[in-house]
Amino acid sequence: MSFAAGGVSVEAVGVRRAFGPHVVLDRLNLRVAAGEFVAIVGRSGSGKSTLLRLLAGLDQPTAGEVRIDGRPLAGLSPRTRVLFQDGRLLPWLRVGENVALGLDDRRRENAARLLERVGLATRAADYPGVLSGGQRQRVALARALAAEPGFLLFDEPLGSLDALTRVEMQRLVEELWRERPFTGVLITHDVAEAVTLADRVLLLEGGGIRAEWPVPFPRPRATGSPDFARLVEGVLGRVLGRPAQMT
Amino acid sequence: MSRALTPWLLPLVLLLAWQAAGKLGWLSTRVLPTPLEVGRAGVKLTASGELPRHLGVSFARAAAGFVIGTTLGLALGVLTGTSRRAERLLDTSVQMLRTIPHLALIPLVILWFGVGEAAKVFLVAVGVLFPVYLNTYHGFRTVDSGLIEMGRVYALGRWQLFRRVLWPGALPSVLVGVRYALGVMWLTLIVAETIAATSGVGYLAMNAREFLRTDVVVLSILLYALLGKLADGVARLLERRLLPWHPAFVQPIAAAANPDDSVGSEL
Ligand SMILES: Nc1ncnc2c1ncn2[C@@H]1O[C@H](COP(=O)(O)OP(=O)(O)OP(=O)(O)O)[C@@H](O)[C@H]1O
Ligand SMILES: [Mg+2]
Repeated sequence: MSFAAGGVSVEAVGVRRAFGPHVVLDRLNLRVAAGEFVAIVGRSGSGKSTLLRLLAGLDQPTAGEVRIDGRPLAGLSPRTRVLFQDGRLLPWLRVGENVALGLDDRRRENAARLLERVGLATRAADYPGVLSGGQRQRVALARALAAEPGFLLFDEPLGSLDALTRVEMQRLVEELWRERPFTGVLITHDVAEAVTLADRVLLLEGGGIRAEWPVPFPRPRATGSPDFARLVEGVLGRVLGRPAQMT
Repeated sequence: MSRALTPWLLPLVLLLAWQAAGKLGWLSTRVLPTPLEVGRAGVKLTASGELPRHLGVSFARAAAGFVIGTTLGLALGVLTGTSRRAERLLDTSVQMLRTIPHLALIPLVILWFGVGEAAKVFLVAVGVLFPVYLNTYHGFRTVDSGLIEMGRVYALGRWQLFRRVLWPGALPSVLVGVRYALGVMWLTLIVAETIAATSGVGYLAMNAREFLRTDVVVLSILLYALLGKLADGVARLLERRLLPWHPAFVQPIAAAANPDDSVGSEL
């Protein structure tokens, strides 16, 4: 499966977001190349979700701007999709209808294909309420990809899943991303997950991007290697504020 | 099978006891006629065509008032539930009007419409309007904001957002309102027909009272109970039909599948 349209480039320039007197993001700069997969890690309350909402166009910065393919973003972008932590499937639509939500006629057939791709073709006629948590996230992933997004944001989409299901989902996300070019931004607490999926891991701290680690491992990634463990350890140490070598 | 019959055991025993008490003379038939006497009155009135006529009249009044009240309540609720501007403009006024018990309007309504059909239909419509309005409005306002946000991200236009997210999200609450309104509908009709009417089940009861026909009075009361139960059954059928995804209906669990004791079903 390949798509004509590729990923988009995403840029945040001097972005500031304050809630009243409370400044969450300040003079934040960020650049994600078209087709790149970036993970953003940071402590709880560091503003990760706030940044995601700005990049998705769900919220506007107090100052500065977000650019998609070089153009300032105002409101929602038609080529951006978000995979939410809680899936947000519509409980009153069957799985198949959920995946086809908001698709134009040209992409309608994507729905069945993607449902098949995430291994849930046989559940198309079920309501989301009878699926397990992991199955629901797979449906949500199929729905996000059915629209052939140029930019896909992940807001801790695997946070509520058990360890085994998480690993399965990570593999699936990596596979799907390799099959079709979209720009990915993953927000996560889980440093190992960030290192597994991303080309680059960014640290959000004190309102801006404070550190950056390229992830050099070839894909598909073996998460058991010593190099992998060392990088995870390094990022984790920095996130927790221990001095660690930066690349 | 026996599980399905269990709920009917107690009513049956009571009915038998009632019949026995009447037969043995413990209960004056002037106070309470026996079930058999009530049944006989029912058969006689049905044969004479009187009962079907009164039933038909009551049913037509209930239906007309219900349709008008529900339509208005729904329209208003959708308006204030989906538009902040409409909410600011209308909600306070509707909430203020709601505090007037609609049955208190009876004298005024009789002055306006006399004792004709319009008075009864008007009263039922007013009584039905508010529960439907309130639950519709509340339903729209409590739709999961996460789902609305999702709908926007997934490129749903205004109409699609309404059809796919807002309306189905509000529907369970709307149906609670409809069910409650059905109770209000019968209650209003009973009062209105008892006070000012020349036909209908309520009139049948009041007329029988004049002639000390306790059996007909009891028959009328039972008829109202039956009609109320019937309306409730229709409401539950509606819920099952319209909310097939709802946890209460997806997998009927003995306890959860019986929404009989939800708010206001027995008015
Ligand atoms: N709508 C809002 N109004 C006021 N304050 C807000 C709002 N949204 C976020 N904040 C504040 O911004 C800060 C960052 O919140 P955010 O949700 O972005 O953190 P996070 O990094 O996603 O945390 P977590 O990892 O726990 O999800 C918090 O202090 C929060 O209180
Ligand atoms: Mg968050």
